[in-house]
Amino acid sequence: MHRLWNRIDFAFSSAWQNFWRNAAVSIASVLIVWVVLLALGSLLLVLHSLDQIVALEKTKASAISVYLADTTPLSSAMDFKLHLESDPRVSSVEYVSKDQAMARFRQLPALDPSVIDTLGTNPLPASLDVTVKDIRDLGAIDQEVRTSPLVDKSPATNYEPNVIDKIILLARVAGIAGLVLIIGLTGLSIFIIMLTIRTAIYLRRKEIEVMKLVGATDWFVRWPFIVEGLIVGVVGAVVAVLIVGFGYRPAVVNLQSVLIFVPLAFDPYYLRVVLAAMLGFGLLLGSVGSYLGVRRFLKQ
Amino acid sequence: MPATITTQPTRTTLLPAKARVAAVVPAASQISLQGVQKTYPNGTVALRDVSLEIPKQDFVFLVGPSGAGKSTLVRLLIREEKVTAGSIYVEGQDLSRLKRRHLPYLRRKIGMVFQDFKLLPNLTVFNNVGFALRVTEGALRHLKPKVEEVLSIVGLEGKEGKYPDQLSGGEQQRVAIARALVHDPRIFLADEPTGNLDPATSWEIIQLLLQINARGTTVLMATHNREIVDVMRRRVVAIEGGQIVRDEDAGGYHAPALESH
Repeated sequence: MHRLWNRIDFAFSSAWQNFWRNAAVSIASVLIVWVVLLALGSLLLVLHSLDQIVALEKTKASAISVYLADTTPLSSAMDFKLHLESDPRVSSVEYVSKDQAMARFRQLPALDPSVIDTLGTNPLPASLDVTVKDIRDLGAIDQEVRTSPLVDKSPATNYEPNVIDKIILLARVAGIAGLVLIIGLTGLSIFIIMLTIRTAIYLRRKEIEVMKLVGATDWFVRWPFIVEGLIVGVVGAVVAVLIVGFGYRPAVVNLQSVLIFVPLAFDPYYLRVVLAAMLGFGLLLGSVGSYLGVRRFLKQ
Repeated sequence: MPATITTQPTRTTLLPAKARVAAVVPAASQISLQGVQKTYPNGTVALRDVSLEIPKQDFVFLVGPSGAGKSTLVRLLIREEKVTAGSIYVEGQDLSRLKRRHLPYLRRKIGMVFQDFKLLPNLTVFNNVGFALRVTEGALRHLKPKVEEVLSIVGLEGKEGKYPDQLSGGEQQRVAIARALVHDPRIFLADEPTGNLDPATSWEIIQLLLQINARGTTVLMATHNREIVDVMRRRVVAIEGGQIVRDEDAGGYHAPALESH
């Protein structure tokens, strides 16, 4: 127990001394770790947000809203509804009145109700929300309903065939670009941590010589440097974790107020996973970098 | 005086090196070199064919001109270097077969001091000595009494809090000796320990080594100090050009034949 404590105490106090003895290099490696982890955390959260949007768009994808002109009488609208319901490709049709549309609109997050009240009249059209059995029939139905005189012309429906594909493509591009960036930064940070450890070994060369002379084991000599690498990883990770941890919710709220129709949501569970991943990756960078540092330079 | 066995194998033998050395395994020897050759990667031949037996509690001077191979011999004994051919046994252990992870335990059996002391300038006397125990994972509660014990052996009581640059050369070498003693080594190697010291201080260091020897530790001292070797009349092993040219009990720095000239 005493021996283990001695080993831990020696490794940590030496590592701490090393860290401050070449403070400039140590802080450079902390910064690069911080940048890597900030990029990693941001990328994971952005991809998650895009996932949220894709998931919601997919549930909406089998339905379109057919907007009715304000001049359409309710009886004509109901005939049109029956006509659509008789179509074998359609699974259900729901009538949404102007008032119902307004009620729904008011429920959108991050929308200031007082802005709507200043409008005076209700600009939203009534609609028939058509759900199809097969998404691939959506385009054909969209074409047909547009020919009806009952249908509003600007716009006729909310049919946007490419929106999901676009978001998926965006997520894919963002994911690949982010991954390439993170791989590059990871290599760079491991290299810089390695240099930091090399510098520390150089500054300690006399101690190391004496340690080997009096019979210290290889691992006893190595541990302080491994711990120094871990300290670099942890410090960089903690700063990045704090920024991402406290920055995620304000970022989501701000984006929601700009992109009111985009269904972004703050996801505390996923945030915890991301923060844990960042911390783990920071430790990994520190240990790999320092292991490479000691492996090459403490050989004999 | 312990008996010494000097084997100088004939160079004309047709037996391969390994078969030749296997024939000589003296159980009494603490250090045994058998047909040791050392060639450095750059091609320098440091030791050609060295066989040497050092029994327990012996006190041996290793003499010879610079570059004769004295330092190489010392480095081979702590396995800082490996032999090119032949073999070295320390306490019956074949150093060429010693695994790297067992090397630290060999070093703990061997106390070493050097001409340049190798003290850590940023540590006090107490911590320089304690360092050797700390880094070999000795239990910390035994550290203080042990350090005090070895510092009293070398006569440095009261200097525990000084830093190396506040000490004289002789005192610094005493700190190095104290550090070499913390593991109660069975073998004590001194590589030119008086090389940087004035004659009076050198004698004090020699007295200390004799005291360590009297406590039962084998001492091997590589030196250029002719006066000390001649006065002591201890066993002298002379190396020249990578070979042992003389090995005698109660010897002088130079061979008697040369001294008569």
